[in-house]
Amino acid sequence: MAVSEQPPGPGVAGWLSDKLFNNYIWRSIFRSGYPNTPRNQMLVVATNVFLHLHPTRLHKTHVRITHTYCLGGLTFFFFLVLTVTGVMLMFYYVPAADRAFQDVAALETNIRFGMLMRNLHRWMAHGMVISVFLHMMRVFYTGSYKPPREFNWLVGVILLTLTLALSFTGYLLPWDQLSIWAVTVGMNMAGTVPVMGEQSRFILLGGFEVGDAALIRFYTLHVIGLPLLAAIFMAVHFWRIRRDGGLARPL
Amino acid sequence: MAVDARAVSSTPAATRPRRERDQELLVWPDLVFIEFIAATVFLLLFVILSTLLDAPLLNQANLDITPNPSKAAWYLVALQELLLHMHPALGGVIAPTFALIIIGAFPYVDRSNEGQGAWFSTENAIKITLFSAAFASILTVALILYDQGRHVNVVTSIAQEFDKDWRWPGKLSAFQNVRAIQTGWEWSIPVPESAQLGPGEHDGELNWPDDFTHVPMPFNGTSGPDWMRWGPPSFLPGWLQALYWYDLNMNTPAFVVELFIPVAVMVTLPVIMILMLMRLGWVKNIRDGSIGIFTGMMTVYFILTIIGAGFRGAGQDLVLPWDVPHID
Ligand code: HEM
Repeated sequence: MAVSEQPPGPGVAGWLSDKLFNNYIWRSIFRSGYPNTPRNQMLVVATNVFLHLHPTRLHKTHVRITHTYCLGGLTFFFFLVLTVTGVMLMFYYVPAADRAFQDVAALETNIRFGMLMRNLHRWMAHGMVISVFLHMMRVFYTGSYKPPREFNWLVGVILLTLTLALSFTGYLLPWDQLSIWAVTVGMNMAGTVPVMGEQSRFILLGGFEVGDAALIRFYTLHVIGLPLLAAIFMAVHFWRIRRDGGLARPL
Repeated sequence: MAVDARAVSSTPAATRPRRERDQELLVWPDLVFIEFIAATVFLLLFVILSTLLDAPLLNQANLDITPNPSKAAWYLVALQELLLHMHPALGGVIAPTFALIIIGAFPYVDRSNEGQGAWFSTENAIKITLFSAAFASILTVALILYDQGRHVNVVTSIAQEFDKDWRWPGKLSAFQNVRAIQTGWEWSIPVPESAQLGPGEHDGELNWPDDFTHVPMPFNGTSGPDWMRWGPPSFLPGWLQALYWYDLNMNTPAFVVELFIPVAVMVTLPVIMILMLMRLGWVKNIRDGSIGIFTGMMTVYFILTIIGAGFRGAGQDLVLPWDVPHID
């Protein structure tokens, strides 16, 4: 049988919350009642796919802000908001060399809240790069990469690289002087690699200089390829945190 | 064949602290609440920031107009700064790749289980962190100033207070900056007429840098006695041909300046730092050493970013932040 019922509390509030959280429809969605008893509080975490990223219990020290400074969580939060604002920007943006710049400029002049979306996307992208670095430093200085978390540290290094790659590919999309020259500088670095340099530069740019082909490649990587990879590695990252017994703490 | 699951989980790598139920909290509400507050606060902060400050949008992209300076995104500016001091492949790709590999390797080198899950848990962790941050920042700044020849300006201006015609002495011409070893420094030593030194005229002297710019690599197929000469390896597939150093002559002065010195600096300075920390008695185990190396790497990245973003003006000259031209 389903979860144990709670007697409704006294008064109108009790009656109301009983009607809201103990009815058939609520139960069909959430399975458990409103999480106000320890039992329901565990059930809500264990039965909800999003909350299930967490364990049901965690050690006291790990809710202290000064242990994690929320940095991993913030990085993930930035990633989520970047996905939302990114999708909104995609409604207005066409990745073609003769349109991209006008589309971005039109966000400011023609589209309500367009500039808010673009600014949020831009500043949070910077925020994510900063927070991923800080997160790495907090994990390092708390010695949390030690066994059995070696592999999760490696997953983290991959996530760091993916975050930088996401930011780098996004940088080209506004197609202004800042983007094209920053990417030209970056790609020239890639071009100097011994033996494979010229080839990898050519593959990334789809040509010898930053043009239409490069724009569509960067765009595709930026909006689907890299986010998908990042999401996969984040899933592994979170899964491993739980498999490794939650966050590290002194033996 | 059956695998014993316990055999996997009881290896030392998987030891974990005992669970103490009485020390545990429920994720709902204790953690979910914090996450909710953090998310709300940061969303609000960024909405406010975004209404106050617009993302930049310069003129439409145009490959015919090169802005001066043209800079990479801020998190790559550190690499761009390295390019000024070494071979582009080394600064832009090889060094950063090694840095990532070293970062990834920490847990595999520092394998002890002790001191996890608490800030700066070894006895001297904080001292080591501060020392290596100071060591790395001072030396990075000093090396950049040296490579820009700033010491030449300083010494010259002081010396000219006393003697108006003072010039940087010729004997020290190799020490104006790193590149001066290749371009600003000439010396020669007499060699016997009989010695045959490669192709070209024998003027009885070995001159730096000219006589060292085409030193044949061993087995490059075009130098040495007859039996060491052969045709280009055209039977190999193209990419392998590119790998084989057929006909390759080494430009020794450029090699010294662009590869040898930078690599030597990047390898020896961390080693010296760790030795100093051991001498001080602060580094007692691998964890301590790792803290030093990690801090040093983060600091160098940070300092290079600041200098690259804030102190590089037109032509990548070293200038003060307010002299960095505004690009639009
Ligand atoms: C997109 C990037 C990343 C995201 C979204 C992310 C997310 C998280 C989250 C939410 C946690 C839980 C604890 C906390 O918030 O500190 C965590 C822990 C951890 N992260 Fe990350 N992370 C990212 C990148 C990295 C990087 C770059 C590294 C290291 C190179 C790393 C290594 C770890 C390790 C080893 C843990 C376990 C820490 C412990 O047990 O205390 N992560 N990560």
